[in-house]
Amino acid sequence: MRPDLLVIGAGLAGLSAALRATQAGLRVRIIAKGLGTLHWSTGNLDLLGYLPGAPHPVRKPMEAIYTLPESHPYARLGPERIGHCLSWWQKALGAAGLAYRPATPARSNWLLPSPAGAVRPTYLATEAQAGGDLSQAEPMLIVGFQGMRDFYPHLIAENLTRQGYAARAATLSLAVITRRQDSNTLHLAQELERPGRVQELAAALRPLVRPGERVGLPAILGLERHQAIWQGLATALDAPVFEIPTLPPSVPGIRLHRALTRHLEAQGVQIQVGLTAIGFQADRGRILAVETESSARPWRHQAEGFLLATGGILGGGFNSDPQGRFWEVVFNLPLTVPQDRNAWFRPHFLAPEGHPVFRGGLAVDGCFRPVDGHGTPLYQNLWAAGNLLAHVDAIQERSVEGLAVITGMAAAEALLA
Amino acid sequence: MHSISWHSVDHSLDECIKCNICTSYCPVSAVTDRFPGPKYVGPQAQRFRSPHQPHSPDDSVDYCSGCRVCNEVCPTGVKIAEINARARAQIVAERGLPLRNRLLGRNELLGKLGSLAPAAANLALHNPLSRLLAEKTLGIARHAPLPTWSTRGTFGDWLRRTAHRRLRSEKKVVYFHGCATMYYEPFIGQAAVAVLEHQGYEVIVPPQNCCGLPLLSNGEFPAAERYHQGNVARLAGFARAGLPIVGTSTSCTLTLKEEAPELLDREDEGTAALRQATWDIFEWLRALHEQGELRTDFQPIPSSGASLVLPYHAPCQLRAHRVGKPALEILALIPGLDLRESHARCCGIAGTYGYKTEKYQIAMDVGQELFDFVQAQGEAVPYSACDSETCRWQLEHGTGLPSRHPIEVLAAAYGLYDLEQRRLVREAQS
Amino acid sequence: MKQQTTEILVIGGGSTGTGVAWDAALRGFQVILVEKRDLTHGTTGRYHGLLHSGGRYVVKDPRSAEECIRENRILRHTHAHCIEDTGGFFVVTPEDEGDYPDRFQEACARVGIPCTEIPVAEALRHEPLLNPRASRVFAVPDATADSFLATHATAQAARLAGAQIQVYHEVVALLVEGGEGARRVTGARVRDLIRDEEVIIHADMVINAAGAWAGQVAQLAGIPVHVIPGKGTMVAMNHRMVNTVLNRCKMPADGDIIVPIHTVAVLGTTDEKVSDPEHLRIEPWEVQLMLEEGEKLVPGISQARVLRAWAGVRPLYQEGFQGESRDVTRALTLLDHQQRDGVAGFLTITGGKWTTFRLMAEVTVDKACEQLGTRRPCTTAETPVPGVQQGHYWLGHRLSEVEEHHLQGELICECELVTRAMLEQAAAHNPTFTLDDLRRDVRLGMGPCQGGFCTYRAAAILHERSVTGKDDAQARPGDADAWDVAYIQSPAHQQTLPPPARLEGFQPNLLLRDFLQERWKGLVPILWGQQLKQERLDALIYLHLMNVDHLPVDGEASPLTDFYHLDPAQIGAEPGQPQASLAEGQALNERAGKEKNQEGQP
Repeated sequence: MRPDLLVIGAGLAGLSAALRATQAGLRVRIIAKGLGTLHWSTGNLDLLGYLPGAPHPVRKPMEAIYTLPESHPYARLGPERIGHCLSWWQKALGAAGLAYRPATPARSNWLLPSPAGAVRPTYLATEAQAGGDLSQAEPMLIVGFQGMRDFYPHLIAENLTRQGYAARAATLSLAVITRRQDSNTLHLAQELERPGRVQELAAALRPLVRPGERVGLPAILGLERHQAIWQGLATALDAPVFEIPTLPPSVPGIRLHRALTRHLEAQGVQIQVGLTAIGFQADRGRILAVETESSARPWRHQAEGFLLATGGILGGGFNSDPQGRFWEVVFNLPLTVPQDRNAWFRPHFLAPEGHPVFRGGLAVDGCFRPVDGHGTPLYQNLWAAGNLLAHVDAIQERSVEGLAVITGMAAAEALLA
Repeated sequence: MHSISWHSVDHSLDECIKCNICTSYCPVSAVTDRFPGPKYVGPQAQRFRSPHQPHSPDDSVDYCSGCRVCNEVCPTGVKIAEINARARAQIVAERGLPLRNRLLGRNELLGKLGSLAPAAANLALHNPLSRLLAEKTLGIARHAPLPTWSTRGTFGDWLRRTAHRRLRSEKKVVYFHGCATMYYEPFIGQAAVAVLEHQGYEVIVPPQNCCGLPLLSNGEFPAAERYHQGNVARLAGFARAGLPIVGTSTSCTLTLKEEAPELLDREDEGTAALRQATWDIFEWLRALHEQGELRTDFQPIPSSGASLVLPYHAPCQLRAHRVGKPALEILALIPGLDLRESHARCCGIAGTYGYKTEKYQIAMDVGQELFDFVQAQGEAVPYSACDSETCRWQLEHGTGLPSRHPIEVLAAAYGLYDLEQRRLVREAQS
Repeated sequence: MKQQTTEILVIGGGSTGTGVAWDAALRGFQVILVEKRDLTHGTTGRYHGLLHSGGRYVVKDPRSAEECIRENRILRHTHAHCIEDTGGFFVVTPEDEGDYPDRFQEACARVGIPCTEIPVAEALRHEPLLNPRASRVFAVPDATADSFLATHATAQAARLAGAQIQVYHEVVALLVEGGEGARRVTGARVRDLIRDEEVIIHADMVINAAGAWAGQVAQLAGIPVHVIPGKGTMVAMNHRMVNTVLNRCKMPADGDIIVPIHTVAVLGTTDEKVSDPEHLRIEPWEVQLMLEEGEKLVPGISQARVLRAWAGVRPLYQEGFQGESRDVTRALTLLDHQQRDGVAGFLTITGGKWTTFRLMAEVTVDKACEQLGTRRPCTTAETPVPGVQQGHYWLGHRLSEVEEHHLQGELICECELVTRAMLEQAAAHNPTFTLDDLRRDVRLGMGPCQGGFCTYRAAAILHERSVTGKDDAQARPGDADAWDVAYIQSPAHQQTLPPPARLEGFQPNLLLRDFLQERWKGLVPILWGQQLKQERLDALIYLHLMNVDHLPVDGEASPLTDFYHLDPAQIGAEPGQPQASLAEGQALNERAGKEKNQEGQP
């Protein structure tokens, strides 16, 4: 029952690492406090959208990697390794039932509409979102639903128009999709899976669509049967249909989470959520076990190796207090965060350089092992990946999923070596 | 009026970052507008509650089934289910409780009464006319899967009858059977005793009373507290003596471990001792296995096909223990058993929730995900399996397929138990 | 240039100014009130919400205490729906020994403040989080007040009595006539910040109720008025924690009160002399002090989640005073500039506190009557403002209405239970130029996520209504005639109204940016722990998902864009080393680890 690898964290980094390690034949178990950041993401894979301080999106992220500081996890891996990770991941996700598409020309970023109508750079797009490609000239009809509180077509259309993209907005009644009074995006996605709903939606949309237009809808086109619903709608409308992500909870993010966890479970990986790590045992530079809190007594999880993918501040891997102390919550590993709270933030929320505190994190060696101040690994069998790594603010540079996937896989490869 | 304290959940309310993952996974808000979701009734509404208000500001929290899926998926550790349980108790303390909820909370008393004349009680309870009457007068749903009293005697009767046959050993374990085993399903207890004795343990079954969970989930905290104190008085001594207390009802063990101490703010030594000593039976067997002490002399379980296909659902109340799915791990050791794990969130019944007329259909809609899963495993599947009694009854109701406790399956794998007849092999022979 | 004429011109749309407008209008004067921003944008909207019983000042400043208890009784009738009857405790903690408690009790008796000593055990039953080491507890009739609602209700009452309330109208000059010795203020030149035009308002009497800004206004007439701006920093906790106003039973000092107001508990406050009432820095030590002092009343409070910090500035005034602002009297001061400076037609009302705003208005208008040579009695003490029929508000009132009317699906700000109708009606009928104005109207964005979800929703809804609204019944922002502001916070009431017609003039990207920045300003001083995690989710939404920092720029700023910007010096314009060295990080971490170990954690 004792696994080769215990992954702590069930976000994109932990799941990608587990996928890679399982593929290589390791017995993997995943424990997590809860379900995390994937449920809030767009479901796409952002690789690198903006360089610090630069006003324009990165068009060629693989090339931009050369301009990153050498401490950045991407710079340490290099574009070739990153490219290899991404194509492996894309293939694995394809096998898990989710198709991702790279932009053309090759190795460039997509530019897709955000739910505020901004132009959003991303690297691998879900097929349904790729239809919003802003390099295409087809005019867009953005359709929302009256009373749906997480999606606003007029705002999107106006902002797109102001940036030179042909877009207009329309709204339908929510009653087209649901009889419910109170629905979130996931409920709506599930409603669309009911028999006949897609046809009803198509019938309501048909009078709105002008010839040559593509139709942008909130990302609620089904959950389990997403592919069929998305394509079925396009066929019924005889017009291209694309999705725009919404406020969390994000249906494309949940689809990604489901595809990954099912794929892993089918390969015998146990994923247990609701477990909070409260302690660990180590001996002579090796982690022996992690303990999680339970209803009565700590539960010990032994393994040969441990991979920490608990995320940074948002994922819950770090905590902090008013005195300006920051700590890593499972192993109490050292973090690179400015000690002085006065140096944490800049005056503007939207400061283009980001805020110094968010570049703090866990320093690792070339094999993704957390290190001490001298660069020496703290434990021989502990690796770390994802948004808890130092020297990168993934939200600021728009690399949230890329960082998770690439460092997750790279850490798994390092521990396999 | 019993004043409901909030302080143990106040800090956890501060953890909420409003991400709505709980709402996305809540099986109840997925099927009805009547429940606006765990975030709404939990950490969000909690900021608007206080004991000094003219009246409870909300009542949609009554539609929380208490399944705890929200706690499980919350990325920041908010004790949403506890917040909701307290809010329901506050409403009960203010407005009183319908007779129906009082009845449903008194599982033990009903069990005892019915067992005086089980056949008559079953007839009285399980006929269409009385069910209609119960629905109209009490609000107990006509089609809800109420249990039937054991007509082969209670578990206590069986213990007395077979006392001379019980194993005596240096190694001892205490068994907490719970009300359902006592009055409705004594065979679960028999299977548990057989498995424990098979490991070489003497099984002690001390007097005990209802764990109090039905009262807690119906908001009757003072009555639950009396029950809990009774169990502490009867069982804490064994705990202090270092004996493990194992149970086959995941909800009873969860109550002893956590629900009663936390919801009732009990911090006494006896409660703590009992909490520390209590185990789900498979959690304990898994620990035994990790020490290399679990017997693995399994025999193939008789089945129609080459292997027995068994859809298994880990009930919410087991997942709330946060000990993983130990039954799944142990049953996986049995050769020729094709276990299929359900990922359904909840069977819907949630203790006594689905018995209530206004909630019956919600419970059935919630359970659909699980019923579909079981049915998708094929025609030849003879049973489903689940650790919790009310969930098994709901599963049987929703799928039309018999359901078994994993301990019955394990006992059968040891050749001790007839899974079809639900009786010990040795007793069937004698 | 547009010209207006009135009898009384009131400068300042806080509690005092609206109170003056109400009082004067009730006495039959023609009144215009101008406020440079939104109502309550100044000190009124940034106070802790305590309706004093007077207990706080009873030993130190009995005159002020007397005013408080008198006004406390009056406001419970005239502004019932703006008040939550929490009651208050004065608590003797182990740090507060000495003879103060006895002096306090005697002084309360002398001044007439109902004060009952209750057993500590009883106080603990009522407030279980109260410091159990407290030795004595006195119960007094403190309460909490919603100063936003109260000011709106007062303004509405003034309007109903004929006053004109003009917000986003900033006084740029006072009209002064006559030579030395016979000078007279005859009105003001006012800039309409929204239409970007100037208006001349002629008045028989100009009343300066600009609070902390009163010195600047008086200066426009060449009159030196040295208002002592006493900055008070407050922090709001994520939830109520206590349901009674808690005061330390000692001489008033920093951080000695906890005020449960709506869904939060406010810890307050500091008192620092500042030079500029506009840009208030919040120093880290102030936040630290609030939490440390809060611990003495409610042990453990510093471990709870902090939502936000902000500062307000008291318009303290004491003629010729030189000392610390904490020691300045809280009593009101009316400056008769005719008598004091030889300038007729001009009064300045300052000092005081929210609790005494009605009294301040009364004495001011009394003086105005005297100078205008008319006798008209004050009736505000007997005249309830619109909405009192709702009774005192209570913590759960919104939730209770949302539940009763099944409005769960209508919630736009989920934390503070703001429905779409509340938002749209307030935006249509109450002058609204930024989301911050809506925040003060309906509590938008004031909950735990600090606008994380509702900023986008609100900006997009206002925009949507401006492009999809019906043209026929066009309502302009500011048109408040047909609408009762007294129910602005009632979800059920707002639901009964027909949806407003087209809204105008909203620039969604500016609304978004301004409000995100406004929220950031109050977050920066308290970002750690759970609130820092919340900030990251909000950043994930606005940067990663929305990319709002790359939205097309509107090219314009609102009158408040600059105001929302943090004083760069506050947190260091050039934050040191962007990436601290690992050695530093580790030293830090070992310290944290050590302390955690002492708590028995890994």
